[in-house]
Amino acid sequence: MRANKLARVVIPVFSLLFVSSGYGAESAVVAAPAQQVMAAAEHAGHGDHAGAGGMSGMGGAGKSTAWTAFPTLKIRMGGESRERRVATVVPQGIVASSIDAYSNNPEDAMGHRQLPLEMAGARLDKPESGGFHWLAAREEQDAEVRIASTVQFFSDRGGKNPTAMFMQQKHELEIIPQPYPREHSRYRANEDWKFLVRFNSKPLANRKVLMETMNGTKAELASDAQGVVHVRLPDDFKAEEPKKTAGSHDHGRRSSDFVLATEYAEGGKHYLTAFNASYGPDAFYQRNLAMGLGFTLLGMIGAMPLLRQRRDAKQATGAKPAMAGNANNEDA
Amino acid sequence: MLKTIFPTLTRFRFAIQILMLFVTVYGGALLGTYTVDRISQALPSLACAFDKQTGDHCILIVTQHQLHHRIGEALIKAQEITYKVFIPTLISVGVFFSFFFFLNKAFCGWVCPMGTVQEVLYRIGRRLGRPLQRFGPDNVGMVRPVKWLMLLVLVLGLPLLAGMGVADNEFGDPYCQVCPSRIATTLLTADAEQIALRTSTGVNFFLGALGNALFGFVIIAALAVRLPFCRICPLLSWNALFQRISPMQLVKKQHDKCAKCGVCEKACPMDIHEIGREHGKKAFHEDCTLCGRCVEYCPDDDVIQIRFFGIPLFKSSRDYYKQRVKLETPEGLPKNRVIWLKQAKENRNG
Repeated sequence: MRANKLARVVIPVFSLLFVSSGYGAESAVVAAPAQQVMAAAEHAGHGDHAGAGGMSGMGGAGKSTAWTAFPTLKIRMGGESRERRVATVVPQGIVASSIDAYSNNPEDAMGHRQLPLEMAGARLDKPESGGFHWLAAREEQDAEVRIASTVQFFSDRGGKNPTAMFMQQKHELEIIPQPYPREHSRYRANEDWKFLVRFNSKPLANRKVLMETMNGTKAELASDAQGVVHVRLPDDFKAEEPKKTAGSHDHGRRSSDFVLATEYAEGGKHYLTAFNASYGPDAFYQRNLAMGLGFTLLGMIGAMPLLRQRRDAKQATGAKPAMAGNANNEDA
Repeated sequence: MLKTIFPTLTRFRFAIQILMLFVTVYGGALLGTYTVDRISQALPSLACAFDKQTGDHCILIVTQHQLHHRIGEALIKAQEITYKVFIPTLISVGVFFSFFFFLNKAFCGWVCPMGTVQEVLYRIGRRLGRPLQRFGPDNVGMVRPVKWLMLLVLVLGLPLLAGMGVADNEFGDPYCQVCPSRIATTLLTADAEQIALRTSTGVNFFLGALGNALFGFVIIAALAVRLPFCRICPLLSWNALFQRISPMQLVKKQHDKCAKCGVCEKACPMDIHEIGREHGKKAFHEDCTLCGRCVEYCPDDDVIQIRFFGIPLFKSSRDYYKQRVKLETPEGLPKNRVIWLKQAKENRNG
């Protein structure tokens, strides 16, 4: 009798788990979008925990990247000896002599630095304060101004709120994240994020903004009346297992890069600015909700006997349930 | 005025718990996205870093990451152990301690969101007329070592081994993968990501399945067992390491009646029987969360006290006790109030 009851509970649970595992495999295939044919250069890595980090990989200073014609800044964590508090910044698709680095403590002596560009790139040492750094490269030739920008996050405790640093004017034409992902968070596919487009600190309404990703997606967006552009990051990752090794420290995370760019002309000059960052797959990539619920249910069933009144306790106290709370302790 | 709003210490503590639940679960949304980067990232409670709205991070995720990424890596490369390696870990412990120093284990009893969730479930369990399952003096010792095992294996051992490349990389934060607070706090922000099982590798699947099953077990068990997860929480053992050096202490004087009374033992949600049978340091057990229920339910004046730098913040009194038991039994059963299922059952039985 008891075995029958047990079977009635266990069989549906395992059936659910079995079905859900099939569902997971199917959903992984469905998640693969059509434009993934173009995906070529995905890479793993997550900077300094942050996801909030920049882009990994290296290239020569000033060379244009294969996936976009817009200027970008690529970031590799660590210098030549892979130190944790150092990043190397490499401009791509832009010719600049230095990188402007702003920390989230503008009053600090290291609040704004110009990092000289060397063969391997510009070396960004983490200053004593400030986890978030705004990095920008600027190129001006005749009436053409090109700006590349990104954000680098170093894990830091007690750092100042970076909003003021993000909002201070750093160049003429800017695309500013509103907000940028904080520590233990990152841009991910199928998520909506906001960016402010502005010129000389004034929001630019109805401005065309182009988005390109390393996985091949291209999209045309526009800022609203407040100069804010709403970006939904595309789910354009290839469905494949990430390569992982013990001690690789990358948590097996996949990531790719995206860039937002816009143009504006004023005072006889033409400005082009681009903001780039990395993004990861959808939050439910390689996750299975049905199986998660199944195992949660299993745990719940395991705890069910605790909710039953003990018969022996009932008999011992007569008809009174074994609820210890019934004791009247007023006269203790 | 305050006495009208908070007639009992439990009511006051519950208000603080609800306030801290909002800070630890939704604090980022209420106080700004980057609040979590500014407060401490080393809170002595299970404020989950996987919760995108949290106002601060739990010390345990920071510890696991530092062991994984810094200490383990440095040890295996036999590099010089510089300030760049150990100092960040010491800073984390130092920041944690600056919080912990003043409130001691009250972080467990007053701040931790997982503790609040379990207490709310237990209250629901009382209303549903569910039985109270307790650990007696003879079997409570079986569960107590588990929290130390959790700390040594899941928080310290495996992340260090993963950092050294001995264990698989997925063991970088194994405690977080099984912590029920990760699922509970993210569900409270309407985020189903963490309850969805990770299927990328066998280790991820195993840890995720274990975590989900533990979460399911805890939320049902909490209807009948007081604070079921707290008893094995590694933060309870982590906080116990520093328990004796905080100025916030639970103090119990020796009293003749204690041997036959035992009401404080019934009131203790952690089944610390030592509170009724011992006095002095032994009465302030490592599992104590400074919830203050034993003080509330001690029927004798000044026998149990919560002291800060030696000054009593709250002490037992017979008058308070008499008022307290009129509202609720030591085990937490509300008096003269509706017990939903019990009443329904009685109605059915005529």
